[in-house]
Amino acid sequence: MHIMEGFLPPEWCIVWFVISIPVLVYGIYKLTKITKKVPEAKPLLALMGAFIFVISALKLPSVVGSSSHPTGTGLAAVFFGPAVAGVLSLIVLVFQALLLAHGGLTTLGANVFSMGIAGPAVGFAIWMIFKRAKLSPSVGIFTSVALSDLVTYVVTSIQLALAYPSEGSVLAAFTKFAAIYAVTQIPIAIAEGIVAVLIFSFLAKHKGNILSLLKVIKSPVSNVDKEVN
Amino acid sequence: MSHSDLYAEVDRSAYTNAIAKSSPITKTFFALSTLAICVFAPTFVPTFIVPIIVFILCTILILGVAKVKLRLYLNLLIYPTIMAAISCIFLALFFGTGDPIAQFSLPWTTWSIYKSGILTSVITFFRVEGALSCLFFLILTTSITDLSLILRRVHVPKVLLEISLLIYRYIFVFLEVAEQMTIAQLMRLGKGGWMKRIRGFALLAGNLFIRSLEQAERTFTAMNARGYDGPIYVLEDFPKSNKLMLIVIVLFNVLFALVVYMLYLTNFGVL
Repeated sequence: MHIMEGFLPPEWCIVWFVISIPVLVYGIYKLTKITKKVPEAKPLLALMGAFIFVISALKLPSVVGSSSHPTGTGLAAVFFGPAVAGVLSLIVLVFQALLLAHGGLTTLGANVFSMGIAGPAVGFAIWMIFKRAKLSPSVGIFTSVALSDLVTYVVTSIQLALAYPSEGSVLAAFTKFAAIYAVTQIPIAIAEGIVAVLIFSFLAKHKGNILSLLKVIKSPVSNVDKEVN
Repeated sequence: MSHSDLYAEVDRSAYTNAIAKSSPITKTFFALSTLAICVFAPTFVPTFIVPIIVFILCTILILGVAKVKLRLYLNLLIYPTIMAAISCIFLALFFGTGDPIAQFSLPWTTWSIYKSGILTSVITFFRVEGALSCLFFLILTTSITDLSLILRRVHVPKVLLEISLLIYRYIFVFLEVAEQMTIAQLMRLGKGGWMKRIRGFALLAGNLFIRSLEQAERTFTAMNARGYDGPIYVLEDFPKSNKLMLIVIVLFNVLFALVVYMLYLTNFGVL
């Protein structure tokens, strides 16, 4: 979903930066709090970042100035909250622009908004609903990760459509962009959801102490599905 | 060339190119200001002259001054260029407003091609190429360590820098663990047959994260044992920025921007 360097017209570059910056500032504040309170979470935090980097570099080309790939930010949102997921995406997107020329510096604002803010926010909301309703955490993780992946692509389609309206209509352009993404993205979202469930149950089993310190699960447990919450 | 090879080579080039030792501030300033001009140049018909000039300038600097290998530069350039080309063809064929220049009746709809769509796509293509060359200049000549020093100087929050450096390190941990596990699977005939391949991939994906986390925690413990409590200190081997060079870059870019803007004001070929 990374929109490539120079693909967005200048006014839209600025708009997405302006929207993303307040959330990132709040995210940095949250990040400072987490690292002060739970220093043990630092390796997990940084590894989540590396995970987002690697998983979102597994891209299939897509024809709309962008590509199709898993995002990995849904899981980060569940662990650390959407604002911190936004900061992790910011770091990862800068590294991807600088090391892989994947995405870009001028399109950074737009990319951070779709991958780091909109997607994780939805994923986190769904996770909270599952947690409150005491439903199966595995299903919750799958749903929130898969949906946060899909929402990211819906937002990217909106961003592209706003910048390049078709026949003067944003909606018509959105349909075109979204239709192209849907082909590759729905299977990718499902696969990402499954991988996230695997990782989550591994972590709950072996690193339950960190997850409970982060208040993702109540207590370190051995059987995830039965005893969470 | 696979992904991980490519970016290991970019990383290597950032440390070993001919101008690796010159001031990162000068290089970053040049790359970012040129990038800004390239992207923010107003849209008018000969507008792709601006990105073309930027592209030629950056290419000369990358290949001639920094002496980056042509093969690496082309390898880096080819994938985004193909992507940009496909995307722009898509824009040209399906987007635009005004009077259609061509129309085809299809059974379910009419497909129209517009002049404005084609213009937008051409301008976008050149803008992408120009912007890419600025980005490549930055990443091929300046190392992540140098960039992080610049970020420290402009007072980016400490926690952000700390997590960035950890992420940068853990990306390589991740890739190393993945490679080890792939080799281990290959040796045990884990890729003999389609079903085994799928099962192998699932095992790899599931275990990769937990293995890397263990590795990362060992690194973290080792760092703690050496007195790590927040900021990661790097030896600041910071070359002095060349004032003359900076002034030349500022003058050049201001002049460049002015010329572009004057052309725009005098309605030189405005759409």
